[in-house]
Amino acid sequence: MKSHAAWGTSKNAVKFRIPTADNLVPIRLDIEIDGQRFRDAFIWNPSDPDSEIVVFAKRTVKDLKLPPAFITQIAQSIQTQLTEFRSYEGQDMYTGEKVVPIKLDLRVNHTLIKDHFLWDLNNFESDPEEFAKTFCKDMDIEDPEVGPAIAIAIREQLYE
Amino acid sequence: MASDVVTPPPSKPSPETPSTTTATPTVDPPPSTTPVTITPRPPEPEADVIHIPSYSRWFSWNGIHECEARFVPEFFDGRSTSKNPRVYKYYRNAIIKRFRENPTRKITFTEVRKTIVGDVGSIRRVFDFLEAWGLINYTGGSTAKQPQLKWEDKETKAAAAAQGGDSTDVTVAKKRFCSGCKTPCSIACFASDKHDMTLCARCYVRGNYRVGLNSTDFKRVEISEEAKTDWTDKETLQLLEAIMHYGDDWKKVAEHVGGRSVKECVARFIKLPVGEQFDGPPESTELDIELGVKNEANPTKRARLSPLADASNPILAQAAFLSTLVGVDVAEVAARAAVTALSDLGDEKHQESSKAPPSITKLLESDNASNVNNLDSTEEALVEAKLQLEKEEDELEKAISGITAEANEIEDKIVHFEEFDLQMERKLQQLQQLQNLLYFDQLTLLFHKTAAPKVVENTGEAMKSE
Repeated sequence: MKSHAAWGTSKNAVKFRIPTADNLVPIRLDIEIDGQRFRDAFIWNPSDPDSEIVVFAKRTVKDLKLPPAFITQIAQSIQTQLTEFRSYEGQDMYTGEKVVPIKLDLRVNHTLIKDHFLWDLNNFESDPEEFAKTFCKDMDIEDPEVGPAIAIAIREQLYE
Repeated sequence: MASDVVTPPPSKPSPETPSTTTATPTVDPPPSTTPVTITPRPPEPEADVIHIPSYSRWFSWNGIHECEARFVPEFFDGRSTSKNPRVYKYYRNAIIKRFRENPTRKITFTEVRKTIVGDVGSIRRVFDFLEAWGLINYTGGSTAKQPQLKWEDKETKAAAAAQGGDSTDVTVAKKRFCSGCKTPCSIACFASDKHDMTLCARCYVRGNYRVGLNSTDFKRVEISEEAKTDWTDKETLQLLEAIMHYGDDWKKVAEHVGGRSVKECVARFIKLPVGEQFDGPPESTELDIELGVKNEANPTKRARLSPLADASNPILAQAAFLSTLVGVDVAEVAARAAVTALSDLGDEKHQESSKAPPSITKLLESDNASNVNNLDSTEEALVEAKLQLEKEEDELEKAISGITAEANEIEDKIVHFEEFDLQMERKLQQLQQLQNLLYFDQLTLLFHKTAAPKVVENTGEAMKSE
């Protein structure tokens, strides 16, 4: 799944993958059952076996004490997004001169993050996780949930 | 910040048996002569003391221990650039920190993964590892993480290597409930003072307890009906009478005995020794006769009970119970192993193969001394059980040969039918040919009929014209 060249030059076609150091997929869940709404977002490793999906779904439902109907829904949603990602995988991706602007505009609990910066798509060594961690540390953000949210937001935009 | 009650430099635990492959730890507690258990008191919120089990004393904030590398290898094998020991340490420390902020409360995986930057699969594995080793969520409580066990199929404990058992004595409570399956324990149970848990034999055998525990942590506690309320001879007599009258209807038997539940009656009946051995007070002669009659009347019942159901020896009773749970094949293999082990201990008598009792006694960590005493009775049981097994084998063979014979017959029949089929087809074809010929003949006849008058006409005309 990793590309052959860590650096894609302007003419090279590279197998599709998330252009970061590790090929992780952002997953977003937004499920509503019987008036109960469950929203969540996290990062998934597509090389994990599919059995992991159900385990994760069950665990989440149990931890959050959701009704068990959520388990299948969650698992399905994750599965769909993963398959979608995998369907792109076979195709080639052109990575031209790609410095893209990333916009962060998210609200996590009580923290509002608004930011706008440039990101080099060509650089497959880039790591949104590291960025998020450093960001939170530098900005002295207390709320630990902000980090993952930032990482997810960045990944989603890179995915696009 | 909280300081740990962790004994200093990590002493390496004894090497794992190489058979463990999954990420589920079969734990070897570090070999210790004295049970250095950090006994779990209910942790007070103000205290700076965090309790972790003794088998996790290797943990340190800055270091990574070899068992971590073993159980979560994905971070250490260099396959993935993002999964390196540094990242692992970050996950691990973050999780533990979060837990220790509020040690009285069990922290859930979902909370943790929301706060850690990383992919949830890896975080979950680290979380599971930490929880299994008691580094988080360790309140020493008796709540077993059953759903987790079920999902991940942890069935390893029963085979863990036997190390020195606990020296603590177990107080026999009046009513014991299994903390694994929440059913009241009857026949025998397993208690672990170390973790304040009680398991029924079923859960113990299945390994249905918290992951961090070892089978050696459990001491067997025999709870027979005698412990709770002794069966008086009168009650036993009533029981036997009732059985004679009602046979298999245990409800009526229980009624007749009065004051005993169905289960108790059945259990008591099973435990009753064979008639000849029943010594006792002067009423015994009557009982003997009754038992003798009963035994003849219900030979099938006795036969249905395993030959090891004779529970004059409580260990054999346990053996019977466990052997029914475990199944013949496993018991055989286990018995073989145990028998060879026993013989190594200096007993030459038992070179024969395969029986359940010695194996289960081994598993139950009985002393060598008591083993020697039991050996005589086990010999008898051995022979009996051997006979039974042979009988079953014979029956199996007969059944199989019967089946093969039938299969052969069916094959022959099929072949015959095929032949018939072919013949029928041929005949059909012949008939069709005949049919065609007939049709042909009819046609030619018609032809001639119509042709003939014309010829006649023609010749007539010809003649006329001429």
